[in-house]
Amino acid sequence: MSNAAAPSAAPMIRFEGVNKFYGDLAALLDINAEVKKGEVVVVCGPSGSGKSTLIRTVNRLEEIHSGAVVFDGQNVHAKLGGSALNKLRSRIGFVFQSFNLFPHLSVLDNVMLSPIKVSGVGKTDARTRAMELLERVGLANKAQSFPAQLSGGQQQRVAIARALAMEPPAMLFDEPTSALDPEMVGEVLAVMRALARDGMTMMCVTHEMSFAREVADRVWFMDAGRILEVAAPGDFFRTPTHPRAQRFLTDLHAR
Amino acid sequence: MAMLSNIVSIVENNWLLLLVGQYPNGPLGGIAATLILSVLGIALAFPLSVLFALATLSPWRVLRWPVMGLVYVARGVPLLMIILWVYFLLPILIGANVSGFSTMVVALVIYEAAFLSEVVRAGIQALPRGQMDAARALGHSHLGAMRYVILPQALFNMIPSIISQFVSTIKETTLGYVINVPELTFAAGQINNRLLTQPFEVYFILAIIYFVVCWTLTRLATALESWIAWRRSGAGNTAVLAATHAVAAES
Repeated sequence: MSNAAAPSAAPMIRFEGVNKFYGDLAALLDINAEVKKGEVVVVCGPSGSGKSTLIRTVNRLEEIHSGAVVFDGQNVHAKLGGSALNKLRSRIGFVFQSFNLFPHLSVLDNVMLSPIKVSGVGKTDARTRAMELLERVGLANKAQSFPAQLSGGQQQRVAIARALAMEPPAMLFDEPTSALDPEMVGEVLAVMRALARDGMTMMCVTHEMSFAREVADRVWFMDAGRILEVAAPGDFFRTPTHPRAQRFLTDLHAR
Repeated sequence: MAMLSNIVSIVENNWLLLLVGQYPNGPLGGIAATLILSVLGIALAFPLSVLFALATLSPWRVLRWPVMGLVYVARGVPLLMIILWVYFLLPILIGANVSGFSTMVVALVIYEAAFLSEVVRAGIQALPRGQMDAARALGHSHLGAMRYVILPQALFNMIPSIISQFVSTIKETTLGYVINVPELTFAAGQINNRLLTQPFEVYFILAIIYFVVCWTLTRLATALESWIAWRRSGAGNTAVLAATHAVAAES
């Protein structure tokens, strides 16, 4: 509430007793956790553990059955009018595994569209801002290209610029490098690293353990819909406490 | 050979009737009326079909159910039924005489809008789910996402289907014959009634004309289809897509 509070102490995203079921299967089970302002959280765990489901509940691309997900003081899953939810979503940057750029729009228009149509930014301002962002992800020279003309890594960097164009206080990444060829992973991670360095609040579902080790403030380990372990990356990778996490890390190293 | 020369002379003597009917001394008919009916039918049905499709896909039940009902009924009865209903009911409803031509346009619009709305719906649903997710995640409303992200792609992909539907419409205008709409089939009927002895020649000409028009359009649809497939593969993205977007952005 107060500006005097240390920024790192205020939660940007808070999960409060979140449950979600697919029939009998628990997709999310009693999730209680928070991402503080300015913090970088990496969510990892085996596939099917609920990581993607969890991150998609933050902007309500997934509904939940009980509990609350509070973003910057507002419960995303409260009974909201449509426009309140749209407004909330516009403040949550989201980057998808499959990029989801709009193929009928040029790179520049992909980045400009939502600031103009959702936030009501003027065209000239939106264009200037979009070019700055494309510069920042190293793709200003591709502004007039269409998504299909770009490599996967380039598309994902445009997708990051597109999300940043809404000037969100936090960015969510749902396996941003899983659909990429190995040689393109680095360029996307570099952009994410730079964002983290600039103090962006980030929640990333990823299998890139080197990124987690280097950039994350904390790692959440998930399995079967639960968060089993929350730890600083150094501790998590050196001395994981939960047996399931130990097994997960052993399997990772064995690859 | 005799038949061939008969055909040639029938065309020589009646080409104007086949082309424009009795115009300018009577109502416009012939191929011209057939094409105008078809173009009007599709052009008016298309925006309606987009609205129908949006309604059937909308999250709001009050919109979805009545429109789905209308679409199912219109698709579930023969076009001839709709023509007869419009022919007898419309004058009562609006309390004025309705020409055969207008009756036909109204019937075609109802029928085509129902069919096209299913084409539009399929086109929207064929897009990857991630497109809607991405638009919503950026804060667009459902309708905003439809307008700026989903429809521009879906409608572009649907161009060939719309042409196919246009070809069907051309063939369906022949049913105007039963309510005396002076289109191409009606013109052929008039010629046949006058000659009395050469039905095969007359209806052979009629078949050829329909075939040439519809076959040409079908070829066009096929060509467009492969062009769109090529475009979607990312090969030649710049110019035309930019143009499509310019149009979308202006709207």
